[in-house]
Amino acid sequence: MNLMANILIQVIIAFLAGSLLLGLHRKIMARVQRRPGPPIIQHLLHSLKFFFKETGFPKTVSKPFYIGITFILALIWVVGVIAGPVAHDSLLILFGVYAVYKIVEHNSGSSSGSPYGKLSCVRAVLSAATELPLFAAIVFVYLVTGTMNIGEIITYQSVHGPLIYTIPLAALMFFMLIITKSPYSPFAITKDKALISGFETEHYGLLRGFMHFSESIAWYVMLWVFLTIFFGPLNAVGYLIGMIVITFITGFINATTPIFSPNHSVMTQITIGAICFFGTIVMIFTGVVA
Amino acid sequence: MDFVTLGGDLLGTIPLGDIVLYINPFNLFLFAVLLGFTFLIAISKPETQVEASKFNTLGVAEVKVDEKEFRQRRFLSIICGIASAGAMITGDLFNFTLFMALVGILNIGIVSAVKQTSVLNSAFNYGLIAMMCSLPLFGGAAIILASTGTLSLAVLSQMPASPMVVFGAILMLIGILGESGVAPFFASKAEMFRTPGSPFIVIIHLSSLFIIVRAVEILLLVLW
Repeated sequence: MNLMANILIQVIIAFLAGSLLLGLHRKIMARVQRRPGPPIIQHLLHSLKFFFKETGFPKTVSKPFYIGITFILALIWVVGVIAGPVAHDSLLILFGVYAVYKIVEHNSGSSSGSPYGKLSCVRAVLSAATELPLFAAIVFVYLVTGTMNIGEIITYQSVHGPLIYTIPLAALMFFMLIITKSPYSPFAITKDKALISGFETEHYGLLRGFMHFSESIAWYVMLWVFLTIFFGPLNAVGYLIGMIVITFITGFINATTPIFSPNHSVMTQITIGAICFFGTIVMIFTGVVA
Repeated sequence: MDFVTLGGDLLGTIPLGDIVLYINPFNLFLFAVLLGFTFLIAISKPETQVEASKFNTLGVAEVKVDEKEFRQRRFLSIICGIASAGAMITGDLFNFTLFMALVGILNIGIVSAVKQTSVLNSAFNYGLIAMMCSLPLFGGAAIILASTGTLSLAVLSQMPASPMVVFGAILMLIGILGESGVAPFFASKAEMFRTPGSPFIVIIHLSSLFIIVRAVEILLLVLW
C-alpha cells in the first residue's frame, strides 16, 4: 500500500479506536460505580464537537506556545502512529514521543498563565517518575531480544513466544504507565479535579479539539505498543480484544481507587518500578530469563 | 551493537576523523523537536502569571517578566536548546558530556534572574547536585577513554564491554541523572518551574528529558 495512504488510514483508525476505547473506559467506570454513564460514542462526539466550537484566547497567555503546543501534541502522536503501527520502527522513537508528550503536558499548563495550569505543570515535573520504569521496561525488552526494532521484536516473539512470559515484571512496569495515563487514574496528579482540568483548563474550542484528538491516538498507541512488545504477533482481532481487556482493567482500577496525593503517587510509582526492576534483574541473573 | 539496531536505519554521517556525527530516525526526531521548540522560544513572549494576592480577598496579582530579564532568559534558553540539539546528534562521548554540563549550567542560568526566593533556593539546590554530578559524568567518560583508547561511539559500539567500561558507564549514568535533575533528583528541580516565563522553563524540562532519552541510546551502544 502507498505509504501516505497507510499513514492516513492508521491515523484515522487510531483516532476512532482510541476515542471509542476511551468512551468504553468511561462507561465501565460508570457501571462499576453503579451509574448509567454516557454512551460509548460520547468521547468521539465530544472530540468532534470541540472542532466546531468558538476558540478563545485568555489575555494572559504566551500565544505562540499556547497555540503551537496543541498542534505539536497532535503531531507527535501522529509520529507515534508512524513509528509504531505503520513502520514498526525503533522503540526508542516511541520513548522520545512519550518524552515530548510530557513536555507538552507541562507547557500547555504553564503557557496559559492560569494558576491551575501552573500547578499542573509543576506536578508534571514530579510525575516524571513514570519515565524511569518505562525506560527500564524498554531496556529489558532490548536485553532479552537484542533489538529495539519493533518488527524484529515481533519476529523474536513468533519464534520464542510472547515476552509477557519471559519478563512479566517489565510488562507490569509498562502497564503502570498505561494506568498512569488512563483517564481518572489514581496517578493522574496533573489532572486532579482540584486543578479543574489541569493543563487543559485554559484551552477551549479548536485547541481542545486537538487535545482530545491527541488523547485518543495516545491511548491507542500506548495499548498497541504494550500488546505488540509483550504479547507477540497479534492479528487485528487479537489487538481489538487486547485493547478492550486492558481498557476494562484500567477502568475497573480507576473506578475503585481515589486519586493519590502527588507525594504518594510518585512514591508508589517509584516503589513498584523499583520492585519490578530489581525483580527482573534477579530473574535474569538467576537464569529464570533465558 | 550498532546505530541501526537502536535508532532505526542510518540516514547519514559526517565523518570527522574517528568521530562520526550520525543521524538515524531516532536522533533526527529528537534533533528536529528540539530545534522546533527553540524556534518557538525565540519568537515567544512570556505569559502573565495570575496568582492569588491576599488571603480572604478576591484580588489577584499578575506576575510578569520584565524586559531585561526576558532578553537574558530568552538568550540562555536558545543556547540551551542549541546545546541540547547538539547532544542529540553527536557521535562522540566527550562532546555529549560537554553538552550535558553546558545544559546543566544554562538550566540554572535561565532561572537565576527571577526574584522568587523559593525558585532561587531550588536553583541553588539543583546547582549543588549538578556540580557534584559533574565529577562522575566526566570521570566516567575519562575511564572509558582510558580503558578503550577512544571516545567515538561508532568505535565503542563495536567493542566488547570490559569491566572498566561498565564502571565508567555506571559513573556516567549517575552523572547524567544528577545533571539533568530527573528522578531521584527531580525534587530539587520541581520548584524552579513555579516561576513565570513558560517558553524558558519548557526548555529546562525538554533538555533534561531528551538528554536522558539520548543517554539510554549511548549507554546501550557502549555496553552492548
